Formats: sequence, structure tokens, C-alpha cells
Amino acid sequence: MKRSKMMELGVGLFMLAGIVGLIFLGLRVSGLNLPGTGGGETFQLKANFANVGSLKPRARVTLAGVNVGRVVAIELDTEWYDAQVTLELDAELEGQLPRDTTASILTSGLLGEQYIGLSVGGDPDTLGDGDTIRDTQSALVLEELIQQFVSNMVSE
Amino acid sequence: MIGWVQQLGRHGCDLLEALGRASIFLGLSAVGVPSREGWHLWLRQMHFVGVLSLAIVLVSGLFIGMVLALQGYTILVDFGAEQALGQMVALSLLRELAPVVGALLFAGRAGSALTAEIGLMKATEQLTSMEMIGIDPLRRVVAPRLWAGFVSLPLLTVGFSVVGIWGGYLVGVEWLGVFDGSYWGNMQSSVDFIADIGNGMVKSLVFALVVTWIAVFQGYDLIPTAEGISRATTRTVVYSSLAVLGLDFVLTALMFGELG
Amino acid sequence: MNDSPFVVVEGLHFSHGETDIFRGVDLSIPRGKITAIMGPSGTGKTTLLKLIGGQLVPDAGRILIDGQNVHELSRRALFRLRRRMGMLFQSGALFSDLDVYENVAFPLRVHTDLPDAMVRDVVLMKLQAVGLRGARHLMPSELSGGMARRVALARAMALDPELILYDEPFVGQDPISMGVLVQLIKRINEALGLTAVVVSHDIKETLSIADYVYVIADGQVMAHGTPENLDVDLDARVRQFVHGEPDGPVPFHYPAVDFFTDILSAGASR
Ligand SMILES: Nc1ncnc2c1ncn2[C@@H]1O[C@H](COP(=O)(O)OP(=O)(O)OP(=O)(O)O)[C@@H](O)[C@H]1O
Ligand SMILES: [Mg+2]
Repeated sequence: MKRSKMMELGVGLFMLAGIVGLIFLGLRVSGLNLPGTGGGETFQLKANFANVGSLKPRARVTLAGVNVGRVVAIELDTEWYDAQVTLELDAELEGQLPRDTTASILTSGLLGEQYIGLSVGGDPDTLGDGDTIRDTQSALVLEELIQQFVSNMVSE
Repeated sequence: MIGWVQQLGRHGCDLLEALGRASIFLGLSAVGVPSREGWHLWLRQMHFVGVLSLAIVLVSGLFIGMVLALQGYTILVDFGAEQALGQMVALSLLRELAPVVGALLFAGRAGSALTAEIGLMKATEQLTSMEMIGIDPLRRVVAPRLWAGFVSLPLLTVGFSVVGIWGGYLVGVEWLGVFDGSYWGNMQSSVDFIADIGNGMVKSLVFALVVTWIAVFQGYDLIPTAEGISRATTRTVVYSSLAVLGLDFVLTALMFGELG
Repeated sequence: MNDSPFVVVEGLHFSHGETDIFRGVDLSIPRGKITAIMGPSGTGKTTLLKLIGGQLVPDAGRILIDGQNVHELSRRALFRLRRRMGMLFQSGALFSDLDVYENVAFPLRVHTDLPDAMVRDVVLMKLQAVGLRGARHLMPSELSGGMARRVALARAMALDPELILYDEPFVGQDPISMGVLVQLIKRINEALGLTAVVVSHDIKETLSIADYVYVIADGQVMAHGTPENLDVDLDARVRQFVHGEPDGPVPFHYPAVDFFTDILSAGASR
């Protein structure tokens, strides 16, 4: 009977390890925030871009290079025919970001993925939940850059 | 020519018949869900197919994670994108390598053993004598093994991923000097719990069912001789591996096909 | 007590692939009696027991156990019927992952809710009957052939089933344990009124306990009767078998071409 106890213990530990492993994958690897673990509190901002390039949902949002949130949705705004991006930011920034904060779409490394970088302005008014960032800078599209460069060359 | 077509037809019929038998077999065994009395049988098999496979799966996971990081680094560093190492290691492991390599190792370690064990029980008339005692061996012998395999492989796959990601961390961060924050940060921003971890687990569950099913069916259906057992054991490993790789393509196409 | 036969076999036909094993066998096995089935090696006695147990399906004919047609039962009903039977396999077929004690306890554990203490009493009683109470902690791989068979016998009797099929219970037993087993089979049959079918080549021992004898050869019932009138039966085939004479109408050899033709045929590979 002693062997069977050891076996039960072994199987129990095995299953426990599997579940702990899954939790590790969830929290540490996919950055899932369980409700109630503190990091769960967020608020949303919107930003309209003329062109989002290859920005994808779940892309990072950084402020001074620090991760402060992520993109939750990218939709076409049929009123202006531009892209409306919904951002989810850490709740501690709610009411802290000045109204003239800029959102720009940046690329990490030469071929890396695109993310949104925020840079703060000096307006005393601040952005709250659901507000829209007015000042945006679209993604750099390589073809457009080259076209610009070529037409500059020609006109000179 | 006609002979050839006829032969093809015969093989087709044989295959269909075997599939039919295997399905009935699965149906009859799967109803033997571990009950209160069957609990210790299931536990024993969990120990046998799960706990005892842990060592080989974890060691393989560690090495694969380390190799991924090493290979990935040499490629990414050319583009100045070595901070994406974490993302690369985690996504390859979670989506593909952990479910697939885990299932292949499982087929070799546990699947072949299941076939041989059930086959030997058949050859020594233990299954028949169980039937004569009035106990259905499908429920008593096959069902606990089937369920244990079905539960064990996903757990082993989780272990494989965790250890692999840690192995990637050891090589990438500790050895090659990728920044610790970007290893985890990049990983977290690109790995989605449902789309990547969830789909990987779904794959693993499918593979678990298929591999264990093949293993127990081959054991139950074999010709009860020494040669029959050795052939069935080989068949388990070959069929499982082919099924896992083929299904992996299908599942990947279904899950990630439209993601671009 | 009910006088109808416990097992009835009617017009049984069965073949393994191309080889016909049975060509119209009719048997009836009386309730509460010991019936012996004898016949040359390879005539299909084991096959007959497997057919009775529902392991094999006949090509034609039917087998009734206590009025139920074995091969028309649903899977569930067949398993329920089998709980009323015990079978001693020619090979013993002990569960190799359980020790002797657990092997004998197996049918009790799966079919009854007896408390452990009661299971223990029954198991030790059965093991005592076959003289292996002291071997209860051994694993099947640690037993000799004769011991394994005695454990299998104890297991087959564990539930005191209404019908026990013994496939060669005396093989590999020394004269002492043989005598004990013969008496054991006789005793449990008398004490509990069980129906028993004994397949055996040990003519003297079997005839000493059997109430009725069937001799099967060549896919048919060659002779049947009580041991007394079987002995005086004038059928040469039966006499040859019962007296163990090498020459006679029953061939010792598996069907084959003439020995000299076979030996002398040049060019044949095997
Ligand atoms: N699985 C099988 N496939 C094909 N033929 C078989 C199979 N099992 C048994 N046989 C054949 O059936 C015949 C009867 O076998 P069976 O085991 O019933 O004989 P038996 O009367 O019990 O012999 P013995 O007294 O030696 O135990 C044999 O001739 C054997 O060749
Ligand atoms: Mg036999």
C-alpha cells in the first residue's frame, strides 16, 4: 500500500505541475492579467491614424519606451475614412496624460513589429476614459518614403 | 492493370474495415470514464504513461528551447532584431514544437509500451479470461489507459513549453546577453492566451486522443504472437507519428491559416 | 431442482478459416452434474468451451445456457451471463500484474461488495483448497506451471459460479495434487450443486468423477453415455481412445499425406 501512496503523490504532483505550468504560460508568457491581480485595471483611449501600416491588435503601447498598455482594436472610421485604433492603458495613467499627447506608430528594429509610442505634451487638461488622442503620426510606409525621396530628387 | 485496381480496392476495404473496428472499439472503451472504483486503475496508468514520461519530455523540451534560442539569435541578430528572441522561442514552442514533438516522444515512450502491454495480455489470454469472469476488458484494461493518455499528453506538453521557454531564456538572456526585459516583454506582447496557448493545447488534446487510441487499438487488435506484438508496437509508433504530423498540418491550417 | 439441462448445444458448426472444427455437434450438459468432454488433441475441445463462453461465434447451430441463446445476447447481457460461469483456461491466464491473492480476489472485488475481511476469508479458503495458501504473496511469474493452474482453478471457483468449465485441470500436477484436485472438483460439485464441464485427457481420473461423458472426434460426437456404459460400448474408436491404444480407427496424426510419400517426395521444400 505504501507504493500506491507514492504513486498517488507522484500523479498528484504531476497534475499540479501541469496546472502551475499552464498558469505560468498564461501570466508570464502571454502576459494575461487575471482579474484581481492588480494589473487588471485599465482604461481606454482612441486615436485616429491616416494609415496604420501593419499595426496589429495586441501590439504594445509604450511611453518613453516603457510598456503601458496594448492595442485592443483597429477599425475603419467610415466618417473620415481613416483608421480608429482603440488603446487599453494602465489605469494609473488615467487622468495623468495631457490632452495634447501624441501617438505615433513606430517600428522596432528594421523589420520588427509595429507598436504605438506615446509622447506627452504640456496641456494642463488631461485625457480620461474614452477620450480621443487628436495628435497622431501615421506609420511610415516604405513605398511612400521612396516616392517622396524620388520626387524630391526630380524637382531639384 | 485490373489486378492492380482490384488490389487497391481490397486495401481500401481493409482500411475501412479497420477504421470501423477501431471506431467501435473507441466508442466502447471511452464510455469507461474513470469512476470511483476505476480510480486506482486510472491512477496507475497516469503514473505509467504520464509521470514516467516526464523526464524524457522535459529534457527534450529544455534542449529544444536552448537550440531554438541559439539558432534564432544568429538569424535575428543580423536584422538587429534579437530582442524578438523571446517571441520567436515562445511562439514556435507553443504553437508547434511542444504539441508535435511532445506527441512524437509520447508515442515512442508511452504508446509503444501500451501496445506491447495490452498485446501481451491478449497473447497470454488475460483479456479472454477477464471476459469470462464477466468483466469487459475494454472498460477495465483499455479505458483507464485511454483516459490516462488523453489527460497526460496535454500536461506533458505544458511542461515541454515551460521548460523550453526557460531553456531559451538560459541561452538567450544568460549566455548571449539579450536584454531580460525584452525577452519577456516581447513575448508577452505577442503571445495571446487563447490564440497561441489555447490552440496549442487543442492540438495537444487531439494528438493525445489519436496517439493513445492508436496505441491501445494496435495492442488490442494484434495477432497474439511474439512477432505480432513486435509488429504492432512498430505500427503504433509509425502510425502515430504520421497521424500527428498530418493532423498538425490540418489543424495549423484551420487555426492559423487566415492569420497571415 | 430443475431437471432441464443447463447447457444445450444444437447442430453446432464451426470452422477456423478453412478448417472445419465442428460439423454438427449436439450436446446437453445436465444441471448439477459433472460432464466430461474427451477427445484426441486438436479436435476442438478448447474451442467448444470458448463457444459456450461466447468468445467465439458458431457458423451455424446454437448454444443455450439456462435457456438463453448465448450468441443472441447483447454485449451487456453476455457479460452478465458470464458472471454465472467460471472458466479455467488451459494456459491458466493469471493476471500478471496482480499477485496470487489479488488474482483470486479479482472476481470477488469486481462483482460483489463484500468487505475486505470477507474477501480475505473467501480467498484464503479457496487457496487452502488448492494447497497454495502459503503462496498468496507470489506473483504469477514466480509460480510453476502446475501452481499457476491451481491458482487459476481457485480463481475460477471464487464466486462459486453455477457453471464451471475446466480446460484440462490436471495437466502438470503431480499424483498427490492430482488426487486432491479430482476430489476438489467432485466435492464442490456435490456440496454446491454446481454444473461442471471437465475437458481432460486423464481418462481414469476423469471417469472416476464424471456423471456423463462425451467423446468428440472428427468434428462430431463419437460416443456419449455414463462412464459405466461407455466402457462397455463396443465402438472401436471409443474403446481405442478410452484404453489409450495407439493403433485403431482414431488417427494419432494430424491429417497429412502418407509418411513415406512425404519423406521421399524429392524437390518439396518443406
Ligand atoms: N486461432 C486459431 N486459428 C486457426 N485455427 C485454430 C485456432 N485455434 C485453434 N485452431 C485449430 O482448431 C483445432 C482445435 O483446437 P483446440 O484448441 O480447440 O483443440 P483441443 O481439442 O483443445 O486440443 P488439446 O487437447 O490439445 O488442447 C486445432 O486443430 C487447431 O489447429
Ligand atoms: Mg485444448
